[in-house]
Amino acid sequence: MPEISFVKAGLPKAGALVVLMAEGGEASGLHAELDAASGGLVSRALEAAAFKGRKGQSCTVWAPAPGITKLVAVGIGVAASLTPDAAEAVGGAIWPLVSGETEATIAADGLEMPVAIRVALGARLRGYRFDLYRTMEKPEDKPKLAKLAVAIPDLAGARAAWGPFKAVADGVFMARDLVSEPPNVLHPVEMAERCKALEKLGVTVEILGPKEMRKLGFGALLGVAMGSAIEGRMVAMRWQGTKKKGQKPICFIGKGVTFDTGGISIKSAGGMEDMKWDMAGAGCVIGLMAALAGRKARCDVVGLVGLVENMPSGTAQRPGDVVKTASGQTVEVINTDAEGRLVLADVIHYAITKYDPRWMIDLATLTGAIIVALGHEHAGLFSNDDTLAGQVEAAGKSTGELCWRLPLSDAYDKQIKSDIADMKNVGTRAGGSITAAQFIQRFVQGRPWVHLDIAGTAWATKDMPTAPKGATGYGVRLLDRLVADHFEG
Amino acid sequence: MACGCWTGWWRTISRAEPGRLSVRFAAQDGGGAARAAVGLRDGFDARGQTLGLRLDDGPEAAGGLAWAALRNSRALQFEAPTSGIAAALACGAALRAWSPLAMPPGQLHIVTPDPAEAERLWSLAAPGVAGNLLVRDLVAEPANRLTPAAFVERLRGLTAHGLRVSVRGPARLAREGFGLLSAVGRAAASGPYLVTLHWPGEGRPVALVGKGLCFDTGGISIKPAKGMEAMRADMAGAAACAGAMLALALGRAPQAAVAILAIAENATGADSYRPGDVLRSLSGRTVEVIDTDAEGRLVLADALHHAITRHRPACVVDAATLTGSIVTALGHHHGGLFGNDDALRDGLLAAGKRVGEPLWPMPIGIRHRKDLDSDIADLRHCLHGRQPDACHAAAFLREFVGDTPWAHLDIAGMDLAEEDTPLAAKNMPTGYGARLLEAFIRAR
Repeated sequence: MPEISFVKAGLPKAGALVVLMAEGGEASGLHAELDAASGGLVSRALEAAAFKGRKGQSCTVWAPAPGITKLVAVGIGVAASLTPDAAEAVGGAIWPLVSGETEATIAADGLEMPVAIRVALGARLRGYRFDLYRTMEKPEDKPKLAKLAVAIPDLAGARAAWGPFKAVADGVFMARDLVSEPPNVLHPVEMAERCKALEKLGVTVEILGPKEMRKLGFGALLGVAMGSAIEGRMVAMRWQGTKKKGQKPICFIGKGVTFDTGGISIKSAGGMEDMKWDMAGAGCVIGLMAALAGRKARCDVVGLVGLVENMPSGTAQRPGDVVKTASGQTVEVINTDAEGRLVLADVIHYAITKYDPRWMIDLATLTGAIIVALGHEHAGLFSNDDTLAGQVEAAGKSTGELCWRLPLSDAYDKQIKSDIADMKNVGTRAGGSITAAQFIQRFVQGRPWVHLDIAGTAWATKDMPTAPKGATGYGVRLLDRLVADHFEG
Repeated sequence: MACGCWTGWWRTISRAEPGRLSVRFAAQDGGGAARAAVGLRDGFDARGQTLGLRLDDGPEAAGGLAWAALRNSRALQFEAPTSGIAAALACGAALRAWSPLAMPPGQLHIVTPDPAEAERLWSLAAPGVAGNLLVRDLVAEPANRLTPAAFVERLRGLTAHGLRVSVRGPARLAREGFGLLSAVGRAAASGPYLVTLHWPGEGRPVALVGKGLCFDTGGISIKPAKGMEAMRADMAGAAACAGAMLALALGRAPQAAVAILAIAENATGADSYRPGDVLRSLSGRTVEVIDTDAEGRLVLADALHHAITRHRPACVVDAATLTGSIVTALGHHHGGLFGNDDALRDGLLAAGKRVGEPLWPMPIGIRHRKDLDSDIADLRHCLHGRQPDACHAAAFLREFVGDTPWAHLDIAGMDLAEEDTPLAAKNMPTGYGARLLEAFIRAR
């Protein structure tokens, strides 16, 4: 993962130099300086390669001047299109072009500060790797670049502006690490332990085990956990970044099923390994808390995660079981593989009774149906509050973590009526993500609430603009932005 | 028949076609044995069965429910406090009274203070009801009766109501380059056809485009046997467009409209098109076939291109029972709405709300389009596996509409009633789409 450093605007002594070029733009600043030092070779080479500065276009000129290994020109399309939000993808595109170098510098001398910072952020996010378990990879196959320099005139300004973004990137990386960890390593007990790392940042961390949860009546969460050899946990993390009295906190709630076999309603074998990321909602909440505390956000936030492993065993919950949730409502378990909503039901009830939040957002890799509905570009957004939903959608557009709203209504709610209990935990295939959201809505007691179904966006099978394939950390940046835009100060 | 102030054409229809309810409005009691009124108790009195009308879900739903509850009685009477409620009760009852069996036409007497006004309001709403019931007639027909050729004959019959109908047959379609529609329909004993329904009027027309798969076996990518019988309803999009056109004609709408219906049967046969085939569409774009069961977007692509190039419409709206994916996404309570134009989207959402046929907007993402890149042709038409197929289908169709304002209604899941509703009995056609499209066009 590349560290970002800021250096005075000047030609580097060694390594690669990256310049951004707009369509029809001319070389200026460092780019022009290098062109002069190369005796015009750079501009001749770019012309010969038909490099026009189109979006997505890039061109490498090797050894343009003494000491400099290569110049990489990256096209940004129409100059006006390089907004701060769009700059991240440009930064992300830069990373693979320079990761093999030992040194690299981005010429940001011609960029506005917010754009330069977001280019750096994009490169850092894209440069993430999870290397813990690669013991035999040859050094030449690893990225060599440890530090990516950004050459910028206003050094002090850049360093100050970078601080909060670095904290957010660290939060994203924490979420990605958790999601990437294999399920034999990252089980509920271990995951709860890892939350304690947030104490260093000033977050209060409280861990509940089965005994405490039984006392609180967490029948739904414990019903899921009882099939596993490893105990379930609930973790509450509170960041009080504001001294304001009398303001209620906001709550983020994450589904943390560290591995989901489906339980007695066991999944088919193909692709089951993916179910290690069935804790991505919780991973996101933990990463978000790290981001908010890391940048000392001026708000009062509680992150809650329900951590369980869903295993088939002699002690596992059965289809047909009826469990009593902390809210007192009973649930007929039709399918033990619809376990996420059971976990969320108890944690959401706890959030309401303990913290009396202004509003709540839950994140969960909840349904396969959301992938059939929307694919991998948008998360599904469900809400009982148009204002909050609109704010989340807008934050998604700014950060590139998109969400798309889907409907809720009584007609869908009817699909989870049970003959024996207050509700059943699945409806039919039709509107599967919606009925899951209706289930959760039955536990929010009418409070403003957003549910994000991130089953399609938590994990990428292909490289993304600002994430290599694998864990995306989806949600950390989105919700950090939501808080920054509307709920600070 | 009792005399009343009928809308002339409705009387003709209700006499000629089974399942059309006779409605009359009057200020006096009609002596009906079974009665429904606001505040009446559910039960029986000296005259017969009684039912309390509950208007919480709207008078139309109340009318449907009341008819369903009292239909065994010969003479039915509703009491409505206002003309608006009277007309809406009539709509609800007339919709719910539809049946696939050749039932004797029912009679409904509605007591209301201003029967003339009620009659006027009913005459505004009845064209939509007639359009909806046409959809139900067509959707209910089994595929051995409603073959592509038979469907075309039924549509020719709409000339009686003032629509101009023109038909392209298999040979002409092949000659003119409808490569996608021709490929999908060629293995069947009948079809394919492209039917155009014209309703003349002011300005550039609104173009409706409908998927009319009289039966969909899936072709070589054959469907599992379970549930395949429901595929007789895979022409519900085309039927909805036809129903809307009938409604416009009966209501003498001033707006111009044209409907392009792609009618075919997706059969499994020796001459079926295959996965892997590359087809040349009417637009010239080449398409790699991945799954022959994703045939709807193929026939629509040719029909959309034809609609846009031939009729220069102000906007184009297609309706299709297109994907199972939309049912997974939205269930049976919203149709999926895709498109490239915000104003068009808003107009359709509003129309859907007005007539109680709700739509929900869905995205066409950058990835959805990218997924359709083919190694051998301009486009592949779908992907295998657990995919956002509804979004993929919309992304595919968008390639054929250019800059024309376009909306796509994926109405799979809305064509048949999943459970008893006020306006349709369980497993029966709902007629979804006709009133929505009519309302959308009439609001322009």
